[in-house]
Amino acid sequence: MRTRIYAFILSVFFVLLICGLAYVQIYRHVKYKVMSEENRLKVIPLMAPRGSILDRDGKDMVKDVLSFDVSIIYSQINSIEDLANTLSSALDVPAEEIKVKIRKSRWRPYSPTVIVADIGIEKAIYLEEIAMDYPGLLIDVSAKRKYLKGESGANVLGYLGLINRSEFERLKHYGYRMNDLVGRGGVEKVYDDYLRGTHGGKQVEVDHRGREIMVLGFKEPIPGKNLYLTIDLDLQEYCDDLLKGKRGSILAMDPDTGAVLAMASAPSYDPEIFIDGKRKAEVADVLKDKEYPLLNRAVAGAYPPGSVFKAIVATAGLETGVVTLHTSFDCTGSIRMGRRTFHCWRKSGHGPQVLQEAIKNSCNVYFWRLGSLLGVDNLAEYAGMFGVGTRTGIDLPGEVAGLLPSREWKKKEYKESWYKGETMNYSVGQGYVLCSPLQLCRIMSVFANGGYLIRPYIAESVEGVSLNKPERIRLDISEETIEHVREGLRKVVNDRRGTGMKARQEDVVVAGKTGTAQTSKGKSHGWFAGFAPFVEPKLTVVVFDEYGGKGGYYAAETAGKVFHKADELGLLKP
Amino acid sequence: MLKEVRGHVDHVLLSAVLVIVMLGVSFVYSATWDPVSAGGGLHSLVIRQMIWAVAGLVMAFFIANIDYLRLVNYAYLIYAINLVALVFLLIFGGESHGARRWIILGPVSVQPSEFMKVTVILALAAFLGERREKAGSFENFAGAILLILPAALLIFLQPDLGTAFVLVPILFTMLFICGENIKYIVSSTVLGLASMPLFWMLLKDYQKDRLLVFINPDIDPLGAGYTIIQSKIAIGSGGMFGKGWLNGTQSHLKFLPERHTDFIFSVIGEEWGFVGALLLVGLYALVIARGIKIIAGSSDVYGRAIAAGIVTLLAFQVFVNISMTIGMMPVVGLPLPAVSYGGSNTVASLICIGFLLSISRRVS
Repeated sequence: MRTRIYAFILSVFFVLLICGLAYVQIYRHVKYKVMSEENRLKVIPLMAPRGSILDRDGKDMVKDVLSFDVSIIYSQINSIEDLANTLSSALDVPAEEIKVKIRKSRWRPYSPTVIVADIGIEKAIYLEEIAMDYPGLLIDVSAKRKYLKGESGANVLGYLGLINRSEFERLKHYGYRMNDLVGRGGVEKVYDDYLRGTHGGKQVEVDHRGREIMVLGFKEPIPGKNLYLTIDLDLQEYCDDLLKGKRGSILAMDPDTGAVLAMASAPSYDPEIFIDGKRKAEVADVLKDKEYPLLNRAVAGAYPPGSVFKAIVATAGLETGVVTLHTSFDCTGSIRMGRRTFHCWRKSGHGPQVLQEAIKNSCNVYFWRLGSLLGVDNLAEYAGMFGVGTRTGIDLPGEVAGLLPSREWKKKEYKESWYKGETMNYSVGQGYVLCSPLQLCRIMSVFANGGYLIRPYIAESVEGVSLNKPERIRLDISEETIEHVREGLRKVVNDRRGTGMKARQEDVVVAGKTGTAQTSKGKSHGWFAGFAPFVEPKLTVVVFDEYGGKGGYYAAETAGKVFHKADELGLLKP
Repeated sequence: MLKEVRGHVDHVLLSAVLVIVMLGVSFVYSATWDPVSAGGGLHSLVIRQMIWAVAGLVMAFFIANIDYLRLVNYAYLIYAINLVALVFLLIFGGESHGARRWIILGPVSVQPSEFMKVTVILALAAFLGERREKAGSFENFAGAILLILPAALLIFLQPDLGTAFVLVPILFTMLFICGENIKYIVSSTVLGLASMPLFWMLLKDYQKDRLLVFINPDIDPLGAGYTIIQSKIAIGSGGMFGKGWLNGTQSHLKFLPERHTDFIFSVIGEEWGFVGALLLVGLYALVIARGIKIIAGSSDVYGRAIAAGIVTLLAFQVFVNISMTIGMMPVVGLPLPAVSYGGSNTVASLICIGFLLSISRRVS
């Protein structure tokens, strides 16, 4: 009897055991199967380096360089103390700091954890040599993006940032990963598809310590393509240097093709701060800066063009026949319009002025009179023809269209009709009209290239395939008119007492127009837009001096320096 | 007074045991197989296990062929020798994994506590047999407890809580089968179980932690429960038919600790799946069932007592060991009889089988 009871008790235990086995092996099989695969298989991503960005001559501007990180695998370490002391003396990092980081990694003891990032190649070689004696010590090699010229050209190049959730959702089918860096500005953003490589990976079977036992699959990473820009690195750096400590922009462009040779915007920033975890504070500073370093003033800022606009008004005057070269207006220093008196910048007046003289002197009275005769509709038509109010279509993000005022625009925007006084402002590039420096560069190029509106671009080619074909539209303006206005622009710089004489160069004839745009804040923006050489121009330069005062001073002088430098670099040669 | 042994060997029991031993050797082979060097044939651990298995079987045949009653005469002496070995171990034993369990004798290390399981059964059988007239008395009950107390204490001090604990069900079952008063058994069991949480509550947190490590010093220092999780993954991922012999990733990539000793069942479950697990559990169940039959058929109290003790020892170890591999019980260091790698376990388990066979021959 007792034996039977005992047999029964034992049977119960065996049935329990079989139920337990059935539960684990059959009912929960799938779960454990997945867990065992996760244990066994690791995918080691092999990051593809991003393509370099080079200037027109193939000089590196941005490239991925190897970065060495010290990592550890916690479970393999023999002595935390020894390892921390060795690393501390090799890397000049306090041992305590290293110990804290090593101890933190115990939560994921089988995978590598970065302890010290970016240690430099000499230290990496040294540590690689002693790594044999320190199990669990690894030197990870990864690619890190270097912006070789620092802040120079930053607004053209852009920067990288971690992909955000919505971008990832949109782009995941194109091979982007959760931790990917994507272009966040400049050509890094526009040409991200070319620059970004295709990540590879290695699927390995690993043991309990994360050591590779067998490679099961391998996909080679494909590096990104190199991007050649139209930028001339020397000229670009020179322009950036000229703007040091200032606010504004300098543009240099080939007036025939639209290829941008230099595009500086100040203040600037160092693009590397966005990819260096240790420089988060600098990112915050850049983002909070009231002077907006991230704003590419050359394309993303719109400002009143001031007197540079007079070149368009002069063209309109000649083309419509409202004036001829010989039509003269007398500048007495001021002009009355209704109840308001408008003063020329020269209080004593310029006396009788014909068109080219008026351009040279930037005589406001002449252009007020001419503008009044033309009327807002003609001004709007010609400004529109020169691309005011339309994006140039440059291959950079964030371009603004500026503002092309017109009777219709005023009605729509303000529900008011156009006033005559507003036409006065319009004819000297004040009031509502707004242009980006790049738009002014394109306007000036029309006079440089003999009547063509071009599309500026900044990327030349990837891997020998050109990205941008020069595009130009012949404007409906007679060659004669262009010639006449050009002559006026030549006088501005080269004649005695021309308003742009500070841009004059001995070796090359520069033509151009100054501008001083009054702002609501009191201080004026200074402009100079010009081209050189006068015959068969090779370069259009625009200097925008934000709140810098009269364009005839700093802006013209700076433009002169840019032409001089360009000449030195051989960029003005036929 | 001694009758010569005449009956036939229980062939069913013997065959089941032989298959279990062969399974054990082949899974020790698998568990110690290195996938990187891709085998390397029979290495020392497997050869050692085979030697132990043969030695154990020789011992079993020897015991099966002599009258167990003759051995009962020496039960107290054997018990005393084993106790001395444990005392010796406690004083001079070399420490390994924080415990003193092995006596090193030249090339072999002996684990006296494994043999103590058998020795205790013999001593208890001698005690209960010679006092069979007083069966059911408190005197017998208390005497039996006092008899095994030194063994339990010495094993506990090694420390080896698992082995010390296995003595409790052995004692109770033997008392039960030998007609002890159920009152004593039930009330002391209830008392023991009831006092456990009380005992636990008296401990401070760090003491509890220490005790957990104390119970199983091999527990992974990187996180309690690591072993259990890896073992469950191994067995669960085996599914119905397993990954195939030598194809278990959990064991061959070394995710599974103690895979050739206490956790060898995880390797079987991973490589042969539910079917393989059921086969092994079925074989053990067959051994146990034959054991029960031997208890029932034994004509003398000594045979019944020894058989009951052995059946309990085997069943308890099988249940606790497999339960811990699937997370049904906490990790206590009990091996799978005749399967887990280890000479003492293998030989002691097969000696147990020898006794069962010996008793069975006397039946017939």
